[in-house]
Amino acid sequence: MTPADAVIGALTVVFAGLGAFFFLVGTLGLLRLPDFFSRTHAATKCDTVGAGSLLLALALYNGLDADSLKIIAIAGLVLLTSPTSGHALARAAFRTGLVPWRKERAGEEAS
Amino acid sequence: MSQLFDITLIALLIACAVAVIRTKDLLAAAIIFSAYSLVMCLIWQHRGAPDVAMTEAAVGAGVTTVLFIVTIARTVRRER
Amino acid sequence: MKRALVAALLIVAAIPLLSIVAELPPHAAPDSPAYTHVSAHYLEHGAEEAGAENIVTDVILNYRGFDTNGEVTVIFTALAAVLAILLLPSEERVEERPAPAMPVSMVVRFVVRLLAPFIALFAVYVIMNGHVTPGGGFQGGTILGALVIALTIVLGEDEAHRLLPRPARPWLQAAAPLTFVVIGIAGIAVVGSYLGFPAEEPWQWVRTAWLVILEIGIGVGGGAIIGTLFWTMEAER
Repeated sequence: MTPADAVIGALTVVFAGLGAFFFLVGTLGLLRLPDFFSRTHAATKCDTVGAGSLLLALALYNGLDADSLKIIAIAGLVLLTSPTSGHALARAAFRTGLVPWRKERAGEEAS
Repeated sequence: MSQLFDITLIALLIACAVAVIRTKDLLAAAIIFSAYSLVMCLIWQHRGAPDVAMTEAAVGAGVTTVLFIVTIARTVRRER
Repeated sequence: MKRALVAALLIVAAIPLLSIVAELPPHAAPDSPAYTHVSAHYLEHGAEEAGAENIVTDVILNYRGFDTNGEVTVIFTALAAVLAILLLPSEERVEERPAPAMPVSMVVRFVVRLLAPFIALFAVYVIMNGHVTPGGGFQGGTILGALVIALTIVLGEDEAHRLLPRPARPWLQAAAPLTFVVIGIAGIAVVGSYLGFPAEEPWQWVRTAWLVILEIGIGVGGGAIIGTLFWTMEAER
């Protein structure tokens, strides 16, 4: 194994681990956060960074060829579309009058 | 390993199917049905039918969901 | 009276269908042709006999071309039925739509404008490359239809209507069955049978060209039908 291979292998592991971590955190946030806006934020984060770094890890693992280029293109698509859909969702909810959650109001809403 | 993947996907598929039937909120049902289509698409791909997988992803998860949501917006959202 | 007539018509139509179904081999019978030799033959000789490297395209457009002809006709009929139901009070349709309550965000507008050419390119690639790689007219047509839907939602109906110019719209919606009929008649003229594909030595490229033409017809027709379905269903009435 040449040093370059070792570096690429290590980067693959780092990016895959990062992706898995962000998916875990995003899913936890989706399940645990208190209102629509914070949940949308968690889901978008996990899609963008998680899927982006997982795809990057796949491209690194695959080496330099046409398939890797396609994977990078998919990662670019995810980076563009996922924040956009999150933005559209949150904006639509805000414009239709959904009030964001605040900590000091949590008690009175529950009662 | 491959079989474990298959079993996981099929369990997810059945869970989605049951959820679609049980939920009374039609908008939620449409979204879950779209998730069902995505799982189905993965199964097709994993069983070696990429043509059907593409159709499932484009038609099942994409266009039918949009048409369902348009229909719900025109009619009622709750099942009686 | 009308009901009795409809029932009689249905029974008359059902008799030949049921009698044909009775001729089929029983479900999952091990000695049905599909299991004994047909599938193996398709997999082994499909690429050279039918003219496309993707066996799925060989089967749906060449071996079972007549089935697919019926299928695209069914899809076109479905569109006709939706139009017949939803467009009934055509004079009362509101021509001037009220401004949408919520303007589409600039970010979404920009991203959709940025991605639209790439989506269109991908759809064309899927349609045109369907005889080599997975994909084909149905898949690419659906992607085209999804693009039409996205543009309608984001840029407004007027902008999206320019994709399907009004005079050409019926022809685009009927593109799939029309292409099949044209290729089928060309088959009668050249080979002597409906949807026959020339297979002799110097004419292989014609066969592949016909497959690609069929894919393009299915793709254009499918995209136009999905777009029109969406427009009809979400229009203000």
